[in-house]
Amino acid sequence: MPETTLDVLALQLMQLDPADNAGVSEFVAGVRSFIAARGGTTGSPSLLNLSDTADLLDLVAAAQRGVLLADAGRYIEQAMGGDAAPAPEAPPVDSDTLPPDTDVDLLRDFIAESRDILTGAEAALLELESNPSDTEAVNTVFRAFHTIKGTAAFLGLSGLSHFAHHAESVLSLVRDKEIPYNSRCADLSLRSADMLKAFLDAVEAAIGGGRLVPPDGADVLTVELDGAAAGEIFEEALVETTSVEIDMTAVASVPYTGDPAADAQTAAENASAMMEAMASAVASVAAGVAREQPTGPVKAKHEAELSVRVRTDRLDRLIDMVGELVIAQSMIAGDSGVSQLKNQTLARKITHAGKIVRDLQDLSMSMRMVPLKGTFQKLTRLVRDLAQKSGKSVEFMTNGDDTEIDRNMVDAIADPLVHMVRNSLDHGLEPRDERSSHGKRPQGTLKLSAFHQGGHVVVELKDDGRGLNREKIIAKAIAKGLIESEKGMSDGDVWQLIFAPGFSTADKITDVSGRGVGMDVVRRNVEQIRGRIDVASEKGSGTTITLRLPLTLAITDGMLVRVGEERYIVPTINIQLSFRPTAESLYTVTGRGEMVLLRESAIPIVRLHRLFGIAGAAERADEALLMLVGDGERQCAVLVDELLGQYQVVAKSLGRGLGTVPGVSGGAILGDGRVGLILDVAQIIQLGRTAGNDDVTPVNDRRSVA
Amino acid sequence: MTNPTATATQANLGGKYLTFVLAGEEYGIQILSVHEILGMMPATRIPRTPDHIRGVINLRGKVIPVLDLRLRFGMPAIEATETSCIIVVQVHGTQMGLVVDQVSEVTTIQHGDIEPPPSFGADVPTDFILGIGKAAGRVRLLLDIDRVLSTDEVDAVTTAAADVG
Repeated sequence: MPETTLDVLALQLMQLDPADNAGVSEFVAGVRSFIAARGGTTGSPSLLNLSDTADLLDLVAAAQRGVLLADAGRYIEQAMGGDAAPAPEAPPVDSDTLPPDTDVDLLRDFIAESRDILTGAEAALLELESNPSDTEAVNTVFRAFHTIKGTAAFLGLSGLSHFAHHAESVLSLVRDKEIPYNSRCADLSLRSADMLKAFLDAVEAAIGGGRLVPPDGADVLTVELDGAAAGEIFEEALVETTSVEIDMTAVASVPYTGDPAADAQTAAENASAMMEAMASAVASVAAGVAREQPTGPVKAKHEAELSVRVRTDRLDRLIDMVGELVIAQSMIAGDSGVSQLKNQTLARKITHAGKIVRDLQDLSMSMRMVPLKGTFQKLTRLVRDLAQKSGKSVEFMTNGDDTEIDRNMVDAIADPLVHMVRNSLDHGLEPRDERSSHGKRPQGTLKLSAFHQGGHVVVELKDDGRGLNREKIIAKAIAKGLIESEKGMSDGDVWQLIFAPGFSTADKITDVSGRGVGMDVVRRNVEQIRGRIDVASEKGSGTTITLRLPLTLAITDGMLVRVGEERYIVPTINIQLSFRPTAESLYTVTGRGEMVLLRESAIPIVRLHRLFGIAGAAERADEALLMLVGDGERQCAVLVDELLGQYQVVAKSLGRGLGTVPGVSGGAILGDGRVGLILDVAQIIQLGRTAGNDDVTPVNDRRSVA
Repeated sequence: MTNPTATATQANLGGKYLTFVLAGEEYGIQILSVHEILGMMPATRIPRTPDHIRGVINLRGKVIPVLDLRLRFGMPAIEATETSCIIVVQVHGTQMGLVVDQVSEVTTIQHGDIEPPPSFGADVPTDFILGIGKAAGRVRLLLDIDRVLSTDEVDAVTTAAADVG
């Protein structure tokens, strides 16, 4: 056999058919001999990865080799790129600080990538909970830890690399079928994943030149992992799968009463009880063994996801540019020179270009969208931990985790969802006994689903717990002075009370929830991202909380209004209705504050043209329009000249040079390419109040001093 | 040496300047802070901001504020002419447009040709003038663009915010 080089390996790989067992074995042998000839994988992450991939190739079925072979190809390429030079002596690294010559960009990439990998690993670990024999999932987790170990070592992060090594060694035993995957192993692996995350946080914190402090508990966990790898898991696994509590003392502890017949009888009774217990133990062990048989072929779900990391500001810029392109295109299409054109082919070409531009716009908007999968996964983990803590048995079902939502929204809904899940678990679902006594399944269910509905993303959390208690909520609300009596309150009104600040009906404060902060924070967060939250509940059968969220934060649904010569965008979510008031419905208070009477309530009027110092706007309210706007708590009627129509606009900041402008939340490019200002309704209401509306001195009238 | 702070920063003032005309006077800004030059376009006025802030414009999908330099320096406003244009400057990552009467040229002014700004007493503010460039027999006021953009804007915005408070 000629001396194996990377070139030979690459050539071999290219001609390799994944189904060709002999060929694959030969390739694997080639990789091993190459690495052996080089003297190990030290100092070369790509070779380390290659070696790992080769190990895996040996293990997996033919159907799953394709991906691994592609991986191997990549690693060989990387190794050819030069990092496979003979292993250098590893420089000693002071673990207290980052290595002095570290490339910060590289480090940041490593952190971001590792976090992604860990998310994937966590998903696989949770998958293992329900299907412990899923070898592919074990491989995924192993690969994750292994990759982090390799790269961390390359970057000189010795503490992190060491820890990853310990975490990996337990899983490698599972992978090699030396120990079964059990709950101890699951727990250790999940904690390892958390610890790795903590390590990454520590590294991130140290980037600015700070000290690299290993996370708390790393030593303890390392010792535990070592113990596990040394065989503790194995023993415990045996005990766990076969252990049945048989009270052996029952026979030995036969009380000596002095009456041989009676003593014999008791002993016999105890013995027969023991026999029964043993029989059932054998049965349960048998059942356990049966359960551990693999349930059908393992799903091959390791798909190669080809993706490129792009900085968000670059992406935003692209989206901006595409938006401009749309405007430029519509200007060409709408140009009078084009519409009078006799040349039909040119008109057709312009229409065609328009179609492409619109497709491009859809595509660019979709680039910001990510599936909710990651968010749901975190919650799965949360439910698992909380259920363990509270001793409740919960079945957590998710549905529609491939529903896509704007990247920024994902972060914004994470906290509210955590609060909601905690509440449902702690207050909603009853303990086992209580459920049984009500004739329910002892295991509670929590169902989280996401779907699209009418241009919104709906996220729904449904539990089959005890439901909200109307009487209790009302009693609490009266005690807190939120309401005076329940007269005329529908169930919906009552449920809304749980969103009041500081409201909690929990009798005792638990570790999990019940401190009375929670649902009000949830509502505030959801409203901040222009979403809506609704509750439906039935006593005894459960509660459903529904979040209705806009598809993206970047796009605002707005009404374009005209005031004098200026145009403004009012977010649709703030608008209740628009109407032309009659002269009789208008009146003034002490000759200054103007009010309009609408459905028997008096609403203050804000004259936008006075507030903003706009010339040429309608003065008489009964010749213009009043637009009833509110921010959820307060409302006012804004005087505008005309409604120009409803638009979807991309909200942008006005530029840092201006700072914040009261009454304006941002700008948006309108269809004609000019900038329209988006009004901040809450601030307008505030401005209207403090300025007294009449004696407003617009800043524009002031001569600026230069 | 009337202005000690300006003297301290005299060291590296030489270089290329974009010069422009404002009410018959010639001004210059360092070329490195100039991003591009646009023809006049209508700006969207922003309520409750000082007069010299013309408003915001759409710079290829980006919203940027535009200042009227005439009003910023207390000169009388004029209607936009054919030669009026907007110089987009970029300072510390922030883009801003400046409306000027006319752009003249890009010229190199040697360090030795720059004199410290004169003092006319308290009535005539000179704190945003880096120095006076003399080249080819012409006098140009070299602007400290940071100061032109910052001081008053920050004041205006904080005053307006206090109104809401």
